[in-house]
Amino acid sequence: MSANTIDVVVEEIRNESPQVKSFKLKPSDTSRLLRCGAGSHVKTYVQFDQNLFENNYSLINDPDQSGYYQIAIRRSDESKGGSVCWHDQVKEGDQLKISYPKNHFSLSFSAKHHVLIAAGIGITPFIAMAADLKKKGKSFELHYAARSNDLCAFHSFLNSVYPDETQFYFSKQGNRMTTDVMNNQPIGTHVYFCGPEKMINEYAEAARSYGYPDSNIHFELFVPPDFGPMEPFQVKLNKSNKIVEVPEDKSLLDILLKHGIDAPYSCKIGGCGSCQVDVLEGEVDHRDLFLTDKEKEEKSVICTCVSRAKVKNGSIVLDL
Amino acid sequence: MVFQSANIMSKPLLDRFPFPFDSDSYRYSNNSRKLDPPNVLDITPEYFEEIKLKRKLLENRKEQTFQSFPHSIEAQWEILEMIMNEMIANHPNYFSLKKERDYWIFQNHLLGEEQTFTFGDLSSLPCEPLDFIGRHVQEDLIYLGQRDGKLYMDAGQLCFPADWSIAFDLGMEFLEIHTPVPQPFTGTGLVEKVRDFLLRMEAGEPWTRYNWTLTVEHILDTAPETFGEWGTKKENVTAFNAGQLVNLRVEDQRLFRLPLSNGILFSIHTHLITLEELTNNAQWKYQFYNILDDIPNELAEYKGFISYKDKVLKYLEQRIADSSSIK
Repeated sequence: MSANTIDVVVEEIRNESPQVKSFKLKPSDTSRLLRCGAGSHVKTYVQFDQNLFENNYSLINDPDQSGYYQIAIRRSDESKGGSVCWHDQVKEGDQLKISYPKNHFSLSFSAKHHVLIAAGIGITPFIAMAADLKKKGKSFELHYAARSNDLCAFHSFLNSVYPDETQFYFSKQGNRMTTDVMNNQPIGTHVYFCGPEKMINEYAEAARSYGYPDSNIHFELFVPPDFGPMEPFQVKLNKSNKIVEVPEDKSLLDILLKHGIDAPYSCKIGGCGSCQVDVLEGEVDHRDLFLTDKEKEEKSVICTCVSRAKVKNGSIVLDL
Repeated sequence: MVFQSANIMSKPLLDRFPFPFDSDSYRYSNNSRKLDPPNVLDITPEYFEEIKLKRKLLENRKEQTFQSFPHSIEAQWEILEMIMNEMIANHPNYFSLKKERDYWIFQNHLLGEEQTFTFGDLSSLPCEPLDFIGRHVQEDLIYLGQRDGKLYMDAGQLCFPADWSIAFDLGMEFLEIHTPVPQPFTGTGLVEKVRDFLLRMEAGEPWTRYNWTLTVEHILDTAPETFGEWGTKKENVTAFNAGQLVNLRVEDQRLFRLPLSNGILFSIHTHLITLEELTNNAQWKYQFYNILDDIPNELAEYKGFISYKDKVLKYLEQRIADSSSIK
């Protein structure tokens, strides 16, 4: 666990839909409360049954609201258990730790128009973004896909606060959201997606085909992207003069931390670039979304949280 | 201005001076360390004279000392709130703050001043929020806005610059600002690496580094705009008077990610000490001599003391010789 955490108390839990609960988290020491910008998230640390669950959740606060942090979580039985623990174990009054707010999904400063596209629980960062854009008088539209009206968290809230900007799509009612919403937008439009990996890939590809430059396409993933099977490899650490083995089911970062190496990290899903380390020798199988294609070609670095050695059972040398 | 006779407790300058070197050689590097405790402010006995000088400069040379873009206002409020929160948490004897929703009452007990204002309402303060809070702290405060993945100098109150200008740099991107740093010593892409490092900085994990140069006489405001007043003093340095005339100038620089604006606050607290006083510390005397003896000419030129470096070296040699002959 990172040393820089904030102690919070769960002040209020609300049901936002049959599967989504929101949690209001109030810092114990409010004198140092930091505000949070649109698109920020926090890492939460929840302990249950000897397991420590580390999860990243977007903050849904209006950036003007201070005094608490608010997150919304969808209960997912397929996940590693963090969301189930939040839904089934966490009670009002509980104390826990969260990270400081981090922002890897900020709004573009120069955009002339913002198109926000959410699938399911991917709505969360856009609640804060919509509040910020509205307050600043910026032009935006919000497209939100859910299975049905009943399963659509924050439906009535969005309908009442942003009726002109919000468009809902309910697949059970035969109304599917398509990538068309990005087509024929004015020059200077930026698009933002949040949802499952498959949706993000589909929308990113479509956006490029419509002519959006990469700098105008923004997205945030919940889980590391799937880059195919993971193979074991070996790592030599130049500064600490160690050799460690990374098995097929573990990340390089996990192994570094396990061996007591002070390796930097933050998001753990290849999105923020915090864990970048210089590579002295060996070829890298880049699995992050942080480095540009050009950087992957030209720079000798690796994002240790997701990337691996290119060659099965091969070896890389790190400046650590 | 009436100064209250509040007592700022402190050790002698030599015991609290931030000596910036830990080896006998100095080159450019990303020499950042984690900042612990994570505070912006240091309040030293020089508080009163430095605040007085700051306000005088802000009064007489406004364009030179404060610059901002309209889009930095939200971040300026964020910085004001962050610093006021630190003031009352760490220095409750010097400052107090009462909040009733957005109606705030700020008191500076050191200066005997009070300001009421509405948080977020520009018209309720006598100047912009960064300018206001900067008038109560010894640090220079620079705001780097992060816009579309790049860092820009979007606002700053800079009263005590080491020969750089906020009026000139406003609006520049990080790489442009650092173009003057001599290339042979930045290595390949050092400035880019520092920028990438800053872009990845996170709230709650501030960083710090020292920068340094030499300044002739106790002059904090060595701005390029007034070079004619302080720059010519370099000609007066001799091996005999260097101890009194020449100061080691150390900037305690700190960097904070701002979670609301997603920009960076860069604070600079400048400390000056005469070489005579500095060399009373035997270890620093030898170390500083070695640093200066080893420093490449291009770096000494960039830092602005190449014209009198040899005189300072002679002075230090003499100080070392004096102490050896006593033994």
